[in-house]
Amino acid sequence: MEKESLVVLEIRDLSVSRSNSLVIEDAAFYIHRGDFVGIVGPNGGGKTTLLKSILGILPCKKGIIRIFGEDVKSFSHWERVAYISQEATDFDPSFPMSVRELVALGRLNKSNTGRRLKEEDWRAVDEALNFMGISDISHKRIGNLSGGQKQRAFMAKCLVRNPQIIILDEPVTGVDAETQEKFYKKLSNLNAERGVTILVVTHDLTAVFCRMSKVICVNRKVNVSDIAEDMDPDQVLRQAYGEHFHFVFHGHVCEGDFRV
Amino acid sequence: MIEFALSEILRLLGYRFFQYALLGGIVSALTCAWVGLFLVLRKEVMIGDGIAHTAFGGVAIGLFLGIDPVFAAFLISVLAVFGVSYMRKKGLASSDSAIAMMLALGFSTGLIVISLAGGFNVELFSYLFGSILTIDEQDLLVIAILGISTILFMGLFHKELLSITFDEEDARLAGLPIRPLSIAFNMLVATTIALSIKVIGIILVVALLVIPGLSALQLSLPFKKTVVATVGFAIVSMVTGILLSAILNVATSGVIIFTAAAFFLLTTLYKRLG
Repeated sequence: MEKESLVVLEIRDLSVSRSNSLVIEDAAFYIHRGDFVGIVGPNGGGKTTLLKSILGILPCKKGIIRIFGEDVKSFSHWERVAYISQEATDFDPSFPMSVRELVALGRLNKSNTGRRLKEEDWRAVDEALNFMGISDISHKRIGNLSGGQKQRAFMAKCLVRNPQIIILDEPVTGVDAETQEKFYKKLSNLNAERGVTILVVTHDLTAVFCRMSKVICVNRKVNVSDIAEDMDPDQVLRQAYGEHFHFVFHGHVCEGDFRV
Repeated sequence: MIEFALSEILRLLGYRFFQYALLGGIVSALTCAWVGLFLVLRKEVMIGDGIAHTAFGGVAIGLFLGIDPVFAAFLISVLAVFGVSYMRKKGLASSDSAIAMMLALGFSTGLIVISLAGGFNVELFSYLFGSILTIDEQDLLVIAILGISTILFMGLFHKELLSITFDEEDARLAGLPIRPLSIAFNMLVATTIALSIKVIGIILVVALLVIPGLSALQLSLPFKKTVVATVGFAIVSMVTGILLSAILNVATSGVIIFTAAAFFLLTTLYKRLG
């Protein structure tokens, strides 16, 4: 029996369809406060669908999703959850907005609609910029940012909300390996220092097995495994990628690079 | 030449009708440009054009029934906004198809009403192309009321509109009231168009919605400064256009649009050379 107080996300018997085809089938798992979860699986396997169902963007065919113990359909405390979609950084580069203005959007919620942002909001914006190490580019236009800077700017927008859960859908696509590594290091710090629960859809399996505490393999079926030193990543990953897949490991799992 | 122009401007500024024209023009420029910038960023400029053309039907109905044509145009524009939203929501038509249909329906209504009234009315021409120099106290009052409502709404919900414009899904997750704000914004587009009918006319109002924003976007500024630049370009284009047209004795709305387009050209050159 799961300890209710620690569970931040509960999925029971969840099935989700898109365009009349079943994308997620009978998923059931718990995510606890402070978990750092990697969501992996082949393209089209249902990773984004799973996230969008958790966020209440996509309706579920059957099953239950509870966030902080509340059904997602009636959940209203979305300020406790931050999300960066796959397309977030694909905005129109001519959009007239500075990094600081973008991060400030993260402070908007139902209760301050129609009111000016307060001093404390702007303080939180500056703290988030500082935490992500982008204070020096706060006045730069978002269209002029590099891939890595965009990620950090959007992460700052997430953090400014002081969320308890952060959900990221392929946040490091299209950036170099060094920037990816720095990004995951930042996420690890956030998870360890602030106890923020993090769910990341990624193809970077090194990051999953070296930095995260749980891995969710999604390919219509959803399998959840705790990451432990004695686990066999090969066996875990075949649940999603199939038996015909062979993962090539270079040395120790955390020193090698076995991206799919 | 400059001396003549200055003395002519000073002479005109002494007339009440010219003061009304300037005041009405400034309010119209400010609201059109501010609302229009969001339309440009949302890539929904055509809804502005569609609503403006639909308003033609409203003006004709107003003239036919003897009620204020601007008020009638506002009502028909609001109906058109809801018509477009309904068709989009129910999947009956895509956004551009729904707008095209409303545009044609509104214009057809105008034509039918004109034929019922027994021919083309000269007064109707002034609504199509604007007649800023004929703005009277009552027109100015309507423009002021609609203008203040628009400015208040935009001022209050400026950051929420920015959030929805940038990433609607994220704004929804943040708990922002997307639907009421979107409906209110579309009504604001209708309001802005209605208040600008006398100033610039149904046919050319879309230029005032679009060109100042496009000029400001060339400057690559952050959002707040882009809004200030957009409104600035619109007001300067409006005032310059009114003054130039009075001195040169040519159609005011045409000169206003040409002045706005000149700013676009200058900012584009600045961007290319800078």
